Amino acid sequence: MAVKLFITGVFVHLFLLSNGAVVADEYRQQRQQMAADIEDDVEIVAKHINKKSFDTMVMQAMRTVPRHEFVPADLRGEAYENRPLPIGFGQTISQPYIVALMTDLLRPQPGQRVLEIGTGSGYQAAVLSQLVAQVYSIEIIEQLGKSTAQLLTQLGYGNIKTRIADGYDGWPQHAPYDSIIVTAAISHIPPPLVQQLKKGGRMLIPVGTRFQTQYLTLVEKDKQGKVTTRKLLPVIFVPFTGGH
Amino acid sequence: MTDNQAPTPPLLSIFILSAAALAYEVLLIRLFSIVHWHHFAFMVISIALLGYGASGSLITVFRHWLLDNYDRVFIANILLFGLSSIVCFVIVQHLPFNTLEILWDSSQWQRLLLSYLLLMLPFFFVANGIVLTMMRFHQLIPQVYGIDLIGAGVGAVLVMVLLQIFSAETLLTLLAIGGLTAGLFALSNLGKRQKRLTVSLLVLCMFAVFLMPQKWLDLRLSEYKGLAQTLLIKDTSLRSSHSSPVSQTDVVQSPLVPFRHAPGLSLQSPTGPPEQLAVFRDGDEMTAIDHVTDHRSLEYYDYMSSALPYHVHRSPQDVLILASATGAQILQAHLYQIPSIDAVEPDKQLSLLITEQYADYYGWHNLKQKVTIHNISVRGFSAPEKNYDLVVMGPSGASSGGSAGVYALSTSYDYTVEALQSYLKQLAPDGLLSLTQWTSTPARGNLKLFAAAVAAMKQNGITHPENNITWIRSWNTATLLLKNSPFTDEEINRVRDFSLSRSFDLAWIPGIMPDEVNRFQLLQEPVFYLAAKSILKGEENGFIEEYKYDIQAATDNRPYFNNHFRWSSLKEFMSLPGQAGISMIGVGYPTLLITLAQAFVAAIVLILLPLSFMPADKKKVAGRRRNLIIYFLAIGLAFLFIEIAFIQKFTLILSQPLYAVAVALCAFLIFSGLGSLYVQRRMKDASMPIISVLLRRSVILIGLITVLYIVVLPLVSSTIMALPETVRIFSAFVLAAPLAFVMGMPFPLGMATLQQTSPNLIPWAWGINGCASVLSAVLAVLLAIEIGFNGVMFCAVMLYLVAWFANRDTINVEY
Repeated sequence: MAVKLFITGVFVHLFLLSNGAVVADEYRQQRQQMAADIEDDVEIVAKHINKKSFDTMVMQAMRTVPRHEFVPADLRGEAYENRPLPIGFGQTISQPYIVALMTDLLRPQPGQRVLEIGTGSGYQAAVLSQLVAQVYSIEIIEQLGKSTAQLLTQLGYGNIKTRIADGYDGWPQHAPYDSIIVTAAISHIPPPLVQQLKKGGRMLIPVGTRFQTQYLTLVEKDKQGKVTTRKLLPVIFVPFTGGH
Repeated sequence: MTDNQAPTPPLLSIFILSAAALAYEVLLIRLFSIVHWHHFAFMVISIALLGYGASGSLITVFRHWLLDNYDRVFIANILLFGLSSIVCFVIVQHLPFNTLEILWDSSQWQRLLLSYLLLMLPFFFVANGIVLTMMRFHQLIPQVYGIDLIGAGVGAVLVMVLLQIFSAETLLTLLAIGGLTAGLFALSNLGKRQKRLTVSLLVLCMFAVFLMPQKWLDLRLSEYKGLAQTLLIKDTSLRSSHSSPVSQTDVVQSPLVPFRHAPGLSLQSPTGPPEQLAVFRDGDEMTAIDHVTDHRSLEYYDYMSSALPYHVHRSPQDVLILASATGAQILQAHLYQIPSIDAVEPDKQLSLLITEQYADYYGWHNLKQKVTIHNISVRGFSAPEKNYDLVVMGPSGASSGGSAGVYALSTSYDYTVEALQSYLKQLAPDGLLSLTQWTSTPARGNLKLFAAAVAAMKQNGITHPENNITWIRSWNTATLLLKNSPFTDEEINRVRDFSLSRSFDLAWIPGIMPDEVNRFQLLQEPVFYLAAKSILKGEENGFIEEYKYDIQAATDNRPYFNNHFRWSSLKEFMSLPGQAGISMIGVGYPTLLITLAQAFVAAIVLILLPLSFMPADKKKVAGRRRNLIIYFLAIGLAFLFIEIAFIQKFTLILSQPLYAVAVALCAFLIFSGLGSLYVQRRMKDASMPIISVLLRRSVILIGLITVLYIVVLPLVSSTIMALPETVRIFSAFVLAAPLAFVMGMPFPLGMATLQQTSPNLIPWAWGINGCASVLSAVLAVLLAIEIGFNGVMFCAVMLYLVAWFANRDTINVEY
């Protein structure tokens, strides 16, 4: 009897393992397709954004991070579509193209420290964590912050530190940061965040609705500490006059 | 059933039913504006009103059975209206529909379709009751129609009054019960047993509605609205809520995480805003009430672009603040110790928040000696005995960045050329007009305002406006400063110093150099400066024509300040990947087009469907049916064209959009109802020549009066606006009465024609007219954006003429 049970157990285990491997492989394929879709999008707008492709390392990170782990279970089938998805709490996981674009604009380098305001699903932090030394992420919604922190730990993202707090004040203990990304709605650029940005650092603020990024504000602090902002459209950087 | 058994139609029931239906329509717009967004509400309710058209089509098909059972069917429809008005709303609320996701997720369209079908039902049942009554009492069609219109007119006013007293959810219950009471006045033709049964059923339903759990009716705000998201933050709570016919106002406190609402605050600001309460209108559009403890808590106002006029003017004494909302601009003026402040705010509820409910929090006791708040529209305010050193208008509501173009369909008379002309006239000799707005990316509204400013100055006789304008911008706001005389060198230097010290960018100052622009808040190209230079040079046609958005100055005739859509840019925007084109266009205009497309398809189906149940056409008959379609389509389109145009005209005259809607709807529906009753009186002889004569006269009169109004109304508007409120309301009624009276005639005349020739087609004609009304509401907005409201009124006159020609051949149609 015990032998029978043992054999059955082994069989079931092997079946589940192989099934899991198939699913994982399927997700991997979908992820590659998603990356290809992003590259196609970049090609379409290449003449507008003055670059033919995003940074290779950024695209590698997009190919690596399992986006399906960051979406609700019932939406996993759509995890690798190039579109934003609802994650509850009135929040979304951003469109992969926008995640890639924002990550590319931050020009991440190994050894850098990045601060994220608005952890949300944790996907953006996970992508950044592939490219920099340390990601610090702040979420204001307690329940969302806790569940995402737990998920990031489960998935083994050891270089992401999260906390539940008001992002306006930043995270001064770990400042200065090489780059900051702010995904919360704001009426003005928070001065504490600018202060916590390194000289030569970049801060990115997407503006729009949860399902549509209308434009991005890129805040740059030069080597002398002078701060300028630039407004960028996610898909079109051409002059807006003429050309009908 | 014969006429002898039912000698009189249930007019009181029709009156109540019509009043309840119109009130329900207005209420649904309110409810969906709160739950979702108002452009979505516009779309859903427009389509739902096709229930009227659907009723006509279905009755055409099943008319024999329905008429044979008229009394029971009539009461059943009342019953179904009462129940469906509340049940359908509850079900729609529980559908997992997300308007923001509609571009990404095809399943959202299925949910939207289900919402349409559910919300059509109450209107369908009401229409069934009215059309069947018209058919049953076909000799009295004008009377029934007249009572229907008068009931709707009363309903229009009633809902406005009730929304002042009750919350929208409570009113939903009251309307359902009110609708059910219509059944109690339609029992006369029933037998004793049937009467008892019907009364029991009606009362039972009333109780069921009354006892419906409040939880089912609670509004389920979209989780993506600002209020819903704010309430997720730890320790936030709702301090107070107030519902009005215009908006729902919610005040939220957050002791743990400060709101820090400070539009465009400079990065150089040494301080931030003090503790604040957030104020949401319809669950979005956040503004704030500052907790004023001392003068220092206001210092952050000095680092906003809107502080510019206080730095440029030497010593402002009298300040006029337009659209003061929750008082931020008042506090800014107080920071500079202005001794006399007049503030204008159309929404009384917002003023009461700072003067009564949260007066201590806001520090009203320090302000009330020198601040007077006038609750009137911005355009309606005038102080003939006073000129102001500064006239100031700040940014209102949420940033344009977050609103995604949802206000494209809203009219606004505050930023038209005529508006700016009137503000400039209120300035003292060295006075400044300061207009601060949110910026958008790519720039559009700001450029439109600049074009309007230049046009206004030119129309006020300023030949070189380039010397009378300065323009600066922060990260997300832009402040435009206008003067009736040229800016002095000293003033220009103050603008430079102010901007430089706060890292704001110059967009225009007299004598500006190209290297002075686009230094801190970098744009892809210095489009503000380029636009200003081009428009001031008089090249506005060149620049305005070339730009990818519509930035032509808004006027009182085309008051769509927030619409920037251009057809010529559509192809380019739509070629962008990942639905990005929509973020370029904004959702407002596409919503209008999608609504029109949906309504058009549905209307064609509803109009053509009954034809398949009619006998095969002979050539002559087919031609007359075509004329019948043209006639009822034309008058349906034309009626609403004029009604909508008048709502806009009245918005200016009455100074309150709410009054404008209430007065226009009430006046047009009631006087049209009286016109219809007049037709009934004249038709006692029931002779065809009378129909023909009345129709000809009414069309001629409609044409003459409309053209007269197009010419005269702009001339008398400013005179009427200066009159006391009650006189203005009375004037609006007097203005609407003659036109509405004659507009009430073509429909019953057309129906009377059918009643004599082919009564079976009465419901079909009703359906056509119903579909036309829905198309008209959408088309009127599309046309007004392109050709202005005078153009819309002119189109209406043309449509009445078309109807007249079509009717001449239809009069003798027989099937």
